[in-house]
Amino acid sequence: MGVWGLKAPAGSRGRAPGQRTRVLGAGPVASALYVAPAFVLFAAFILFPILSNIGASLVGAHGRPGFANYAVAAQDPVFWTALENSLIWVAVSLILEIAAGFALAVLIELYLARGRAIFRTLLFLPMVITPSVIALVFTTLYAPDYGLLFGLFNWLGLADSFPALLGTPSTATLAIIVVNVWQWSGFFVLMYCVGIAAIDRALLDAAEIDGARGLGRIRHIIWPLCRGTTVSLVVLGTIQALQQFPLIYLMTEGGPANASQTLATYIFQTGFSENEMPYASAIAVVLFVLALVLVAVEYGLAGARFAPSSRESRDAV
Amino acid sequence: MRSEHGARRLALVLLLAATAASLLPSVYMVDISLRDSTESFAPVLFAPHPTLANYAAVLATGGLGRFFLNSVIVSTGSVALTLVAAICLSFAIARLKIRGGRVILLAVLSALLLPLASLLIPITVLLKHLALTNTYLGLIGPFAALGIPFATVILKEAMEAIPDELEEAATIDGASSLTLLVRIITPLIRSALIVVAVWQFLFSWNEFFLALVIMTQDAMKPLPLAPLYYEGPYMTDPGKLFAILTLIAIIPMIFYAVLQRWFVGGLMAGGVKG
Repeated sequence: MGVWGLKAPAGSRGRAPGQRTRVLGAGPVASALYVAPAFVLFAAFILFPILSNIGASLVGAHGRPGFANYAVAAQDPVFWTALENSLIWVAVSLILEIAAGFALAVLIELYLARGRAIFRTLLFLPMVITPSVIALVFTTLYAPDYGLLFGLFNWLGLADSFPALLGTPSTATLAIIVVNVWQWSGFFVLMYCVGIAAIDRALLDAAEIDGARGLGRIRHIIWPLCRGTTVSLVVLGTIQALQQFPLIYLMTEGGPANASQTLATYIFQTGFSENEMPYASAIAVVLFVLALVLVAVEYGLAGARFAPSSRESRDAV
Repeated sequence: MRSEHGARRLALVLLLAATAASLLPSVYMVDISLRDSTESFAPVLFAPHPTLANYAAVLATGGLGRFFLNSVIVSTGSVALTLVAAICLSFAIARLKIRGGRVILLAVLSALLLPLASLLIPITVLLKHLALTNTYLGLIGPFAALGIPFATVILKEAMEAIPDELEEAATIDGASSLTLLVRIITPLIRSALIVVAVWQFLFSWNEFFLALVIMTQDAMKPLPLAPLYYEGPYMTDPGKLFAILTLIAIIPMIFYAVLQRWFVGGLMAGGVKG
C-alpha cells in the first residue's frame, strides 16, 4: 500500500507484477540518468541532512564527542514542555481533523443531491491560504479588546470574562491548534470524499437491502471501507502537526514563558535565535525519532483495529 | 420517505454552518482591509464605512512587487524541477523496471515521514557551504526534494496504468526511451501531472520556515515573509496590514479556484486503495 493510498485512473490493465518489459533501448547508463536528478536532490536535501544532524548532535562542549546534548535536553524543562506540546498537537489535531473530515465528507457524498463540488471547494479554501497570513488574521481575531471573538463575548455581555487566549499559558497551545485544524480540515474532507466516492456502489446497495442504513451503514460499511484513507491521513496529519511552525512562531513565538513551545519551534529558537546548533540538532534528532515511532505505532494500531471484525459484519446485516 | 428528506435537510444545514466557519476568517480579513484607521480596531465582522483607500496606499508604496517576483520564481522553479525529477524517476521505476526500483521507491516514500523541522539546520548549513543562501536555487532545491516523494507516488501509479500495447507500438517504430517518455507517456498522465503541479505550487508558494532561515536578505524574500516585514510598521494601522495580507492570500485562492476542477478531478479519478 502506498503511503498516500492513491492510485492512477483505472480503465487500463497494469501488467502483472514481476513481468519485465522488453528492452527499450535504455541501458544501465540511460537508466541511471533517469534516476539521477531525483537522487541528487534526495541525497543533498534529505539523506545528508539526516546523517549530518545525528553527527552534529553528538558534538558536546569543547567539541568532544558524546551524548552531552541529550543529557542537557533531559534536564531542560522547556524541552519537556515542547515534547509534551508536540504530542498534544498530534493528538488534538488528528482527532478533530479526522472527525470533522469524515463527518463532513459523509454529509457531502451521501446526503447531498446537488452542490457537492461547491462544498468540497469552499471547505478546502483555507488550505490554500498562506499560513503566515492566517497567523496574523487569527491573532487579531483572538485579540482582547478589539478582536472579533471579543466582540462576540461583548455582545453576549461576557466582556469581563474574555480570556486572553494567546497570552495565557494554559490556553495558548490549544488556541493555535484550533487554527491548524481550521486550515487542514478541508483537506481531510476532500480526501474522505475521494475515498467514499471510490466505494463500489453495489456494496452500498447490497448493504441497504440487508437493512443497513443511516448511522449503522456509516459506522459498519463506510467507515471500515475508508480505512486506507484514514491510515494515510493519520500518518500525514501526524507529520503535519509535528512540523507546524509559522502559526506558533507568529502567534506566540512559543510563549508566554515557553508555554506553547513545540519541538519544531524550539529547534528554531535554540538553533537560530540562541545559536546553539549542536543542541538544536539533538532536538531535531528527537523530533525525527518521535515521528518514526508515532507512525510505527499508528500503523500497528491500524493493523489491529481497522480490520472489520466478524461481529461488526454481523451487526451490519 | 419522510426521514430521508429530514436527514438531507439537516445535512445541508450542517454543511452550510461548516462552510461559514471555514470562510469567516477570510471575510474578517477582507473587511479589516476595507476599514479606515478610525474603525480598524472595532471588534465587529463588518465595519460600517468600507473604503479601498488602504489598497491604494499599499500599492502606491510599492515593495510588494519584489516579494511577489521572488515567490513566482521560486514556486515555478520548484514545480518544474519536481516534475522533471519525479517524471524521470517514475518512468525508470514504472516503465523501465530498473533493478532496485522497489528499494528506491521505498527510500523515497520514507521521506514523507520526515518533519521538515528536523532537516532545517543541516539544510541551512549545507546551503551556506554551497554559497546558496539568499539564492533562488537555495529554496528551489530543498522544495523539490521535499516534493518528489508525493509526486513520485502519484506519477508512478499513473504510468503503471498505461497499457503495454501503446509502448510496444512505439518501440517497434524504433523510438528511444526518451522519445517514448516525452511523446507517449507524459501526455497520457496529464491529470496526474496537474495534481502534482497544483500541490507542489501551493506548497512552495506558502512555505514559511525554510524561507525564513534561507532568505535573510530583504531583496530575496518570498511573499510568506512579507507579513513579518510589514507587521511592525503597520502595527497601529491594521487596515493597511490587512490589505497586504489580503493581496497575499488572494493569489493562491485564485490559482486554486482556476485549477481546482482538474485537481479534484485528478484525485477523484485516482480513487483510493485500501
